[in-house]
Amino acid sequence: MAIIENSSNPTRRKFLSLIPLGIATGILTSLGTAAFRFLRPRIATDFNENWIDVSAVREVSGEEPLTKKIVTERITGWALSSEEHQVFVLPRQNQVLSAVCPHEGCEVAWDKQTKRFSCPCHESYFGPDGSRLSGPARRGLDQLPSRVQDGKLQVKYQSFENNASEQIKRT
Amino acid sequence: MNSSESHTRRVSAWLNVTAGCVLMLLIVQFVTGAAMAFYYVPSIDHAYTTVSFMEKVLSSGSWLRSLHHYGSQWLALFVFLHLVRLHSREAYKHAKVQWITTVILLALVMAAGATGYSLPWDARAFFSTRVAEGLVGGLPFVGRVARLWLLAGTDISTLTLSRFFALHVVVAPLFILVLVTWRVIRQAESVCWQSLTRNAIAAAVVFLLLAIWSLKFPAPLGPSVNQVTADYLPRPGPQFLWLYETLKHLPGGLGSIAGIVLPVLLLLALILVPWSDRGAFKKLLNHPQRLISTIILCAIAFWVITMTMTAYLSDRRDQRTRQQLAKQASDEKSFRSTPFTPGSLVEGRIGPATEAQTGVPKAYIQFCSTCHGQHGEGATQGQLRFPPLIGVANKPQRTVHDIVGLLNDPTAFGLQPPMRSFATKLTEAEKKEIADWVVKLK
Repeated sequence: MAIIENSSNPTRRKFLSLIPLGIATGILTSLGTAAFRFLRPRIATDFNENWIDVSAVREVSGEEPLTKKIVTERITGWALSSEEHQVFVLPRQNQVLSAVCPHEGCEVAWDKQTKRFSCPCHESYFGPDGSRLSGPARRGLDQLPSRVQDGKLQVKYQSFENNASEQIKRT
Repeated sequence: MNSSESHTRRVSAWLNVTAGCVLMLLIVQFVTGAAMAFYYVPSIDHAYTTVSFMEKVLSSGSWLRSLHHYGSQWLALFVFLHLVRLHSREAYKHAKVQWITTVILLALVMAAGATGYSLPWDARAFFSTRVAEGLVGGLPFVGRVARLWLLAGTDISTLTLSRFFALHVVVAPLFILVLVTWRVIRQAESVCWQSLTRNAIAAAVVFLLLAIWSLKFPAPLGPSVNQVTADYLPRPGPQFLWLYETLKHLPGGLGSIAGIVLPVLLLLALILVPWSDRGAFKKLLNHPQRLISTIILCAIAFWVITMTMTAYLSDRRDQRTRQQLAKQASDEKSFRSTPFTPGSLVEGRIGPATEAQTGVPKAYIQFCSTCHGQHGEGATQGQLRFPPLIGVANKPQRTVHDIVGLLNDPTAFGLQPPMRSFATKLTEAEKKEIADWVVKLK
């Protein structure tokens, strides 16, 4: 206390006036560190592991791609979330494409008249096999890992990086 | 100036540090509150889950929440001490703005504490909401309307929690922020650096104590509202023990007077003290300002201290109460060490709704879809396999009538746990609706 009262020396005064600044920095740093650790995103790792039934193999017989819904379940923070995703089953090949547009991630739809996939957002177009036709997308529709088990077509749901020319799994 | 006089002056200078502590505690409240707002969900089916998630899963979550919890109690104490300090410097005469803003800040801090208590939606929160409801509803003349507005209906619901959330997270902090910013800016020019240093050092000491306290004693989190047993004894936080104890000694109808009307009148009287040195008061009393404010502050301190002590003592004296409270404390401790179980977000679809989703009975989504999938496709959770319901009508004993019976008594239809009876959970109409829908699944 005496130090603070009797500091007529200007250098000493200058030094002492740093105390409030130092204390404020100290308090905010400890709170800030805790807040940073608290808010740091937690990356789910068990997202892509399950095989999900898409359809019976006998269903996949027509000429047109089949639009199917699959439901994934994963733990996102505090929630066990079920999320619905749209996929396309290509006829005869048992290939499954994700409906997520590789441009900005809108959901593409099969256009029966023009026989192509079109994205409602920015007019990217893809052929019946998912290959890129025109528009801002830099690659074709993404193919998902699939297999046939007990007469059923199964798929692993994955998401990929937008706007890359190659299919890169999102991590 | 002789040495003993300067010594007294120095000591009294070190009493002028309550402002720094209040400011520090406010910053702690704002930072920790903002951090928790990133996870908290104000809905009765997720509030408790999200708070448990912060406590059990997130790094530093328990510490941040404890800082917020105890900080709110310390804040009320330090704002009151600040008021006492202003009183001893006769601020009601020389610094009216400081005096009035501090009284208002005390009211706002208490209001923020009261609304914040409901948010974790644990047993404690639920009972505190009930008490708030009762106190507001018992107000003379405006009770019924005030209660409707506070609860957003005739009874406590998820809308009530949203209201408390908005009051706690938007309304109260906004007023506090405006008030305190204005005060700080107004005063910034007249603060000397010695005083600033003293305030900073005091704030650092209080912060350190709060930080250590919060590490050592994590903020309480009781059982969730739907796990409360009949013998649960709810107790409010220390800053509201006076109110809790007062309510025990008053006949029912007077609670609102003691809990709301009287405190508001006392604070109003404190706000008006600067103007009490005129008219009739001046003729009757020598120093009306000092006398009135001293009486009110002493009355508040006496009331709060007596009632808080009585509350503590009466809990300790009664053996059954003491045992029950100890049991609750140890239950909370063991709850803390059980792993976190995620809540389910059943309709959590990312992207636009689809045709396939329509036509699914609401009751199915609520009770069945977590296990059997949103469209009856079945699911696997760890080792448990939940069979798909698609095509179930082709199996024997699965007509609409059978499925209704199965929902009432699954074992009679050869099913084993985890499938359980929904006899009381679903209405007959809901069972029929689910059965009608399930047999059509292909």
